[in-house]
This record gives sequence, structure tokens and C-alpha cells, in this order.
Amino acid sequence: MTKSVKSDGNKLNCYIDGLRAGVPLILGYVPAAIAYALIARQAGFTVWQTCAMSMFVFTGAGQMLAVGMYARGASMAAILIATTLLGLRHIIMSICCMNRPSMRKEKTAPKLMAAFGITDESFSVFCTVDDSKANVRFLIGVFAEIWLSWNVGTLIGALSSDFLPAIVTASLSIALYAMFTALLTPELTHNGRLALLVLMTAVCNTILGLVISPSWALIISTLVCAFIGVFFVDLGTEGENDSERQ
Amino acid sequence: MTVNGSKICILIALMAVLTYLPRAIPAVLVDKLKFGPKINKFLNLIPYTAMAALIFPGVFTVDSDNYAIGIVGVAAAALLAWRKCPVMVCVLAAIAVDFALYMFVFPLGV
Repeated sequence: MTKSVKSDGNKLNCYIDGLRAGVPLILGYVPAAIAYALIARQAGFTVWQTCAMSMFVFTGAGQMLAVGMYARGASMAAILIATTLLGLRHIIMSICCMNRPSMRKEKTAPKLMAAFGITDESFSVFCTVDDSKANVRFLIGVFAEIWLSWNVGTLIGALSSDFLPAIVTASLSIALYAMFTALLTPELTHNGRLALLVLMTAVCNTILGLVISPSWALIISTLVCAFIGVFFVDLGTEGENDSERQ
Repeated sequence: MTVNGSKICILIALMAVLTYLPRAIPAVLVDKLKFGPKINKFLNLIPYTAMAALIFPGVFTVDSDNYAIGIVGVAAAALLAWRKCPVMVCVLAAIAVDFALYMFVFPLGV
């Protein structure tokens, strides 16, 4: 696993593995980007501004929130605070991605590039893939694919109106949830305690979301439940010995 | 450029920086820190708790008029994933099930 010299063919395979793992994400990203662009245009963004935000900000929920608030006349400061708060969870996700064994050995520059591609979705894909595949090239492969999907979707939505029939758009909105579920389920079938932890987190986040803002609820329930899990969930020795293997 | 135009450009620039920083800082720092086995276990559990929190409660309001759309779609994905189907198959099946629900059970825009 710790081969320091890899042939170019091997490197290419890593990108291709990432591209392959990211294919299901396209189904979620394109319609979501179209929806974002339609809201942005209605809010008074030009085509260029709508596209520029997708290119440089690249945060699905954050962009949706920003244009929605802008449309309702929110101040710049309020929009920035809300979107930054929403983006805080990516600190946790980025730490998990950067802590994968082969990522720790990687140089900083490619990691900084891959970091721009960390989203809820790419994090979920990257953190459920085997250690042997979870390198920076895999993450960049996923990133390139979802960035392109997000921007193509944005362009479609910014230029045209909603060309997809309503029933197709409505049906596609399950895609990202289905992907999270499909990534999560196989890990739970052979680990009852992990399944219990996931159930606990789901209940915790649902209840917490009724009391405090959903962005804080997600961060708190993710951290607190993972902390509780340390004491009763067994991930197998693999999970605990990452730092010793370096 | 209009006042609103430059305002939006500044907004995009600031958002780009403020949303990139949380993702970029760990890229620089994590390899300089050494985590003990307990912390590593905590970090290895986070993907599971984060995904649970990303699915729930959001899935209930995929269609806030019909809770069944989210629940049945995700149940289909879970069933197929449990039967070891590839992720893409699970996602397509969830979409197909919801499409069928909209066709026959919850007609849109009527």
C-alpha cells in the first residue's frame, strides 16, 4: 500500500477510479444546479454571475441559500454569515478526508486542489472507499466530475428555463439521499453497533433540528454521536491503527 | 457595472474565500498532527454519523407535501444496497420508484 513509486498508468487508474465512483453523483448534481440557476436568475443575477458563483464557490446548499436570501432582500453580511455557517461542517469532512492514510503522505499542493472539491457528496464517496483507493488522485477525479456536472447544470439553468418535465425534476430530487443511503447501508449490514450509532445520529439530528438551526444541528449531532460511538462501536482493528501504519 | 452588479461580484468573491477556507485548512494542517488511536477512531466514525445526519431529517422533506416520496425512495435504495447492488443501481431504482409514485399515487400539479 505504501509504494512510493507508482507508474503513470497506476496514477491514471486512480483518477479513473474516482471518475467511476462519482458517476451516481451526476444524477443529483445536474438537476440541483439547474434549480439553483433558476433561483439565481429570478433573484436578479446575470447569466455570468450565476455561472461565476458555481465555478468559484462550488457549494451546492450554500449557493442555494445565498441566492434565496438575496432574492428576499437580505443584507450581504447576513448572506455571508449564513453561508459560512453552513460551510463549517466541511472542516470536519475535510479533516476526515485528509486523515486517510495515503492522503497524509501526499504533498500539500494537490491536497489544496482536492480540498476545493470536498462536498457532502464527495466526502461520503471518498470516506467509504477502501484505504487502497482513497488517495488524492481519486478525490480529484471525483471533484473534476462533480464540478463539471454542477457547472453544466448551472449553465443549462441560467440560459434556458426549466426544460425537464416537472415529474422528472421531482423524481431526481431523491438522487443524493439515495446515494448517501447506498453508501451507508453496506457498512451497516455486518456491524449492528454501527447501525445503532447511525440510528441514534438520525434521531438526534432530527430532534435537534427542531430546536436549533439545521446547520448547527448537523455539526453537533455528527460530532457528539461519533464521540459516543468511540466507546461502544467496533470498526475492527483497521480503523484504529491508521496512525501506526505510516 | 451597476451597483448591484459589483455588489454581487464582491459577494461571490467573499463567499468563495469563506467557503474554501474550512475545506483548505485541514489540507495544510492534518498531516502535521499526529492523532492517537482514540481520535482516529472518532474521525473514522464521523463519515457514518455525518451521512446519517445528511439523510435525516432532510429525507422526510424531499417532497414536503408527501413524506412517502422521500421515505419510499430511500427505502428502495437501502434494500438494493443491502442486496449488494452497485450505488448507481440503487440511485436509479430510487428515482424510478419515485417517478412511479408521482405517476400513479401523487400526481403533480393537478
